Amino acid sequence: MDPEAPSSHFSNCTHCGFCLAVCPTYKLTGDENNSPRGRLRLWSEEAAGRLPPDKWTDFYTEECVGCLACETACPATVPYGEIFERIRHQHVVSHRSQPKMALRLAAAAVAIPSLFNLALLPGRILRQTGLSFHRFLFPGRPPVLKSSAAYAAELMSQRRPTGPRVAFLTGCLMEAMFREINFATIRVLIENNVQVLIPLDQGCCGAFQEHTGLGDPEALGARNRRAFSSLDVDAVVSNSSGCGYALGKSLKPGGSVRDVLGFLGDLGPVRRERAPGDATRVYVDLPCHLVHGQKTPGIPAQVLDATGYRWELAPNSRDCCGSGGVYNIQKPENARAILAAKSAFLNEAEGQPVVLATSNHVCMMQWHSAGATGLVKRAYEVRHVIQLLDPGADFS
Amino acid sequence: MFHLDGKLIDLPPRSRYWYDLIPLSLKPLAARLSALLPRGRVLTSAAQLAAYGADGLGYKNYLPDAVVLPADAEELVRFMRGTKSLGLPVVMRGAGTSLSGGPVAVQGGIIVHTSALRAVREINAEGFWCEVESGVTLNDLDAILKPHGVFYPPDPSSGPVCTLGGNVASNAGGAHCFRYGVTSNYILGVEAVLLDGSVHRFGGPAGGRGPWREDWKRFMIGSEGTLAAFTRFWLRLLPLPEKVWTFRATYPDLRTTESAIHALVAHSSYPAAIEMLDPRGVAMVESSQMACGLPEGSFLLLVEIDGPAALVDARVAPVSEILRQAGALDVMFSEEDTIRKKLWKARKAAGGLLGQLSPSYVVQDAVIPKRALAEVLQLVYDEADAAGIRAVNVFHAGDGNLHPNFLFDSRLPGDLEKVERISKRLMERVIEVGGTLSGEHGIGNDKSGYMPLVFGPDSMRLQLAVPAAFNPAHQMNPLKVFDCRRFAS
Repeated sequence: MDPEAPSSHFSNCTHCGFCLAVCPTYKLTGDENNSPRGRLRLWSEEAAGRLPPDKWTDFYTEECVGCLACETACPATVPYGEIFERIRHQHVVSHRSQPKMALRLAAAAVAIPSLFNLALLPGRILRQTGLSFHRFLFPGRPPVLKSSAAYAAELMSQRRPTGPRVAFLTGCLMEAMFREINFATIRVLIENNVQVLIPLDQGCCGAFQEHTGLGDPEALGARNRRAFSSLDVDAVVSNSSGCGYALGKSLKPGGSVRDVLGFLGDLGPVRRERAPGDATRVYVDLPCHLVHGQKTPGIPAQVLDATGYRWELAPNSRDCCGSGGVYNIQKPENARAILAAKSAFLNEAEGQPVVLATSNHVCMMQWHSAGATGLVKRAYEVRHVIQLLDPGADFS
Repeated sequence: MFHLDGKLIDLPPRSRYWYDLIPLSLKPLAARLSALLPRGRVLTSAAQLAAYGADGLGYKNYLPDAVVLPADAEELVRFMRGTKSLGLPVVMRGAGTSLSGGPVAVQGGIIVHTSALRAVREINAEGFWCEVESGVTLNDLDAILKPHGVFYPPDPSSGPVCTLGGNVASNAGGAHCFRYGVTSNYILGVEAVLLDGSVHRFGGPAGGRGPWREDWKRFMIGSEGTLAAFTRFWLRLLPLPEKVWTFRATYPDLRTTESAIHALVAHSSYPAAIEMLDPRGVAMVESSQMACGLPEGSFLLLVEIDGPAALVDARVAPVSEILRQAGALDVMFSEEDTIRKKLWKARKAAGGLLGQLSPSYVVQDAVIPKRALAEVLQLVYDEADAAGIRAVNVFHAGDGNLHPNFLFDSRLPGDLEKVERISKRLMERVIEVGGTLSGEHGIGNDKSGYMPLVFGPDSMRLQLAVPAAFNPAHQMNPLKVFDCRRFAS
């Protein structure tokens, strides 16, 4: 803990306890230290010099998923996420806490997008050929070599949309591993007469660094401010709520980021027609960083209606699935226990096929793992909502 | 070092062998507690105790010697059987949302956190009762009961997280208790564990009395953890109201607000809830995520009526007329669940909202005759203004249960003393007008100093004899309710 950090950062917590009810780790353990109220108390006691640095403080800090459901529940408007990120970063910098080696390597790689794209080329090839069996790698056919920027430029010159202009954050993992979702996003936007610009000098949004406490999110933020702030666009959009939330913080003050589904909701997207008698049922889960981070009401109903499918919100759709960015790698046991409770409904869910749809690729990875690791015993697909609006690869 | 949690601290095998040979009674507290709770958790490190230092009154801190989390009711019984020999105070804790300084270790000792006792064991919708463990939270219970068409009426504002155990211990109330009554009206039976580990059932489900005379359960309700630990309860349920209307009326001043309250209370078909927020309370709501378009600068009344659809619909016009005639600036009402829930969320988050204005606050829980409402509220504002302390009133207006919140900064010398002086003057006036100390929060250690204002020496002596009968050394939650209840090990 930074000795110079003023304890007043924590002081508007009145200890009311409303955060306990929504905290995934409190619900899991019943231990008050493992709740936002408990962690704030630990950090403030240490900041005030009443508690020496302690491995239990480090432990309970690491236990936090970072879902920010507590921010939504907090009447005192404690900026828990901001405090938590700062403390986690300090713990990592001072070696009180160390992310796993794979994450440290990944954190270094995402800072150089071309390197990260190259490093994950084998992953794209495996997914393209249908040979990826990792529990987090949901099925999909990502284009292996063509970038989202090249695809957007190509489609823009063919379709020449005349509507609002958006700058699109393509992301790191989304672009390097799940590029088919970016392609679908570009098609949907252009089909809806939106002009799509992809700034080539954009970098990592900083979410990965925030999740791990590694690196320098401020340097990444400066790079993205240069890439996005000077553009003459109506909005900066993201198709990953976690990335959108992180980039949104970087662009403040003055700039903001819209979730692509919220942006489409304002436009009223083109509706997809489904075959009569299609028995598909879509269960929609709302990413934490969409509802608690970006503080949006969720995914607009008219966007979900436009998928043409019968849809409903998944049970406890505003609760965390346990993904937490990289939480399912850092704390796999907790993440699995959270997912077990959240995904149980899928075993009995009506529909054939059943689709679990969300709007964040790391949540998609977590949801896919529920089937891959036996928590959900029946077949289901995990899709990004934008994929359910996709006019298809033939669109040109 | 010895084994604490199986995760962070452990002994090498050789040391473990010698350690096991030491008699348990000579081992550190953590080891003795672990022996009592082989499946539960034991917290003893300073950083594990910090969060348990306070309840909803965050500024008062008392560190316990240990915290235990029994894995289930069986383990809680086993723990209680062993507590006498530990020679330390035992403090029961539900979710720690109370506003009385009740579930905190004022004299040190062991906090027993019942968060794992979360089973709803039986729902008998036809018989209108259910059996729940003491750690079940109120909102979880509501969600489980709803599909059965029944509900449990007490609704303290901390409902999303507070537990039935804490509710029974403090005889909790809530907004709708104006019509439905407080917790004691809905407890059919209590299963309690005494300090010797013996398990007793006071009352029971409908038709099942248990071995004790049924009325003895009343000793348990509101006992604030001074008599026994609770494992489970049998609760009385009611049919869910068919329809609900929520009204929102704003008033320019205290006088018009008070006249609206009197008119509502006196009506032959009085509402289920009448709640008041003063202009500062309204402003806090509007600057939070609970904002719901309340007009700033006015006193707000939140009123609810419920019952069979035809009857309730017929009452909408008369109720809104009462609200208007009293001098309302505007009256709005809705049957829409989303609008109603938003209003209630804003009202019920009031305690936490205070954090926007001040790091610490003291909340009183006095109950007064309604005729004295405006006068006592004015006293609150006048005394607070004179002392330079901000006061916010958000409370259950229908039953005269005041919750004046006095905001202060615990880091500023003299601030708390000012608040304590105002509180004392307020309490003295409350007693003069025929009121009493606490409506629903309990006495805890926060209001125990005011007990002699209400009760004479004879009454205090007899009241103290009750906990002394259950635990003569006052090992259960000492220094609560009565200042002199100190544990003598």
